[in-house]
Amino acid sequence: MPDTRRITGPEETQSPFAFCPQFLAQSAEAFSDGKRRDGRKAEADHRPVFLKAGLISQAKGSAFAELDKTKVVCAVYGPHEVARREDFSMQGQISCEVKFAPFSCRVRRQHVQDGREKDLSTQLLEALEPAVRLDSFPKSQVDVFVTVLENDGSALSAAITCASLALADAGIEMYDLVVACTARIHGTSILVDPSFSEENLKTVSGEKPGGQVTLGFMPSLRQVSALCYHGDTDLDVLSQATQRCQDTCHKLYQVVQDTLVKSVEQRMNNS
Amino acid sequence: MAAPMVKVPGQRLARKDETTKPGTGTYEQNGFIYSSLAGCVQKETSSDGSVQISVITDVQQTVVPSVEAIVTARITNVTPRFCKCSILTVGKIPLKEPFRGMIRKEDVRATEKDKVETYKCFRPGDIVVARVLSLGDSQSYLLTTAENELGVVIATSEAGASLVPISWCKMQCPRTLAEEFRKVARVQQEFLQYTDT
Repeated sequence: MPDTRRITGPEETQSPFAFCPQFLAQSAEAFSDGKRRDGRKAEADHRPVFLKAGLISQAKGSAFAELDKTKVVCAVYGPHEVARREDFSMQGQISCEVKFAPFSCRVRRQHVQDGREKDLSTQLLEALEPAVRLDSFPKSQVDVFVTVLENDGSALSAAITCASLALADAGIEMYDLVVACTARIHGTSILVDPSFSEENLKTVSGEKPGGQVTLGFMPSLRQVSALCYHGDTDLDVLSQATQRCQDTCHKLYQVVQDTLVKSVEQRMNNS
Repeated sequence: MAAPMVKVPGQRLARKDETTKPGTGTYEQNGFIYSSLAGCVQKETSSDGSVQISVITDVQQTVVPSVEAIVTARITNVTPRFCKCSILTVGKIPLKEPFRGMIRKEDVRATEKDKVETYKCFRPGDIVVARVLSLGDSQSYLLTTAENELGVVIATSEAGASLVPISWCKMQCPRTLAEEFRKVARVQQEFLQYTDT
């Protein structure tokens, strides 16, 4: 029986990107004319960051993060009762949900959570848990909802930074803010804060396939809260990439702090 | 007052020593006091000269029922062994979503515990003031009303009028003058004021 609820396309369809050569140009070149694909000059350059706290009025706390084209919004609710029947625990729980908006990627996303989104949710949870004072809300649960509005690479690091800002905005007690940064290991170069096209570069022939590392870092405690890595690289290159992520996190921390201070001051002036 | 100092989680506030103590919204690590909230720093000097540093937020405090806290709850279900209720406020702070609570038969009053009949103490819909006895099980918090100041504060009669207390165990309907049994709280203004925690 035909599906009457959806408009079915013709039998033989092709992605519109098949006709856009700039999207398909999957070369191995990370640099052209000494610049990165989106015009950044150096490997260690981070894209311009915009952060804003407290934009969703219904939520207890919320935040918006923008790494150039990557846009992420996060809402925090709770603490409230744990709905599921579980064992008694003196520690609070965090539940994380990462969702890509249907229009966020090159290929349209479905409304139901898929495997990658579930993966990102657990990685986000792992990054946030060490930073939150779970003992301050025993038996209760805090919900963190992250929606990726546009994915132009480094979505996980944007989600982590955004979620920690939203948690602080919600007045949830935390040990420290979590700032995250992604680095792409491509051939001999380490690209900090890769864009979508840099995340999907072809492997340089004769080199290892490279990989991607995301570091969640608590700058004032100098502790790593999460380290996600996938790929195939040498260990010394990986540690180099992690170090570069850490340096970038220190720079980003100032931005996160300033945003939070600004939002607190703004609220005080309004009240 | 000078411009308030705004601190964010993880920022170091002071060195911890005999005269400096961490207050609310802060934590202590490696001999230093750090902020755990985004808000203004407040320093309170107590009578013995020690300074307590706390961080105060302007957002509504995150609050969950804690042991010894005074809570306001609505009775939802009464059985011979216990009453179930939903906790509405903790101290003065209203909760956005209610928490489940339970008052066991033996926690209703302090005297003649074995003669308690829950139906003669609470009815569904009553608003009670209670104290959190323990965090209970994974299901609900354990509450007690075994104090003079704790018990029913607002109740509706069978006729639908709001009941007026006439003794510690009875309330009267102003419309029909029928008496109904309740475990009545002796509400004291200063007591309610005191439940600031």
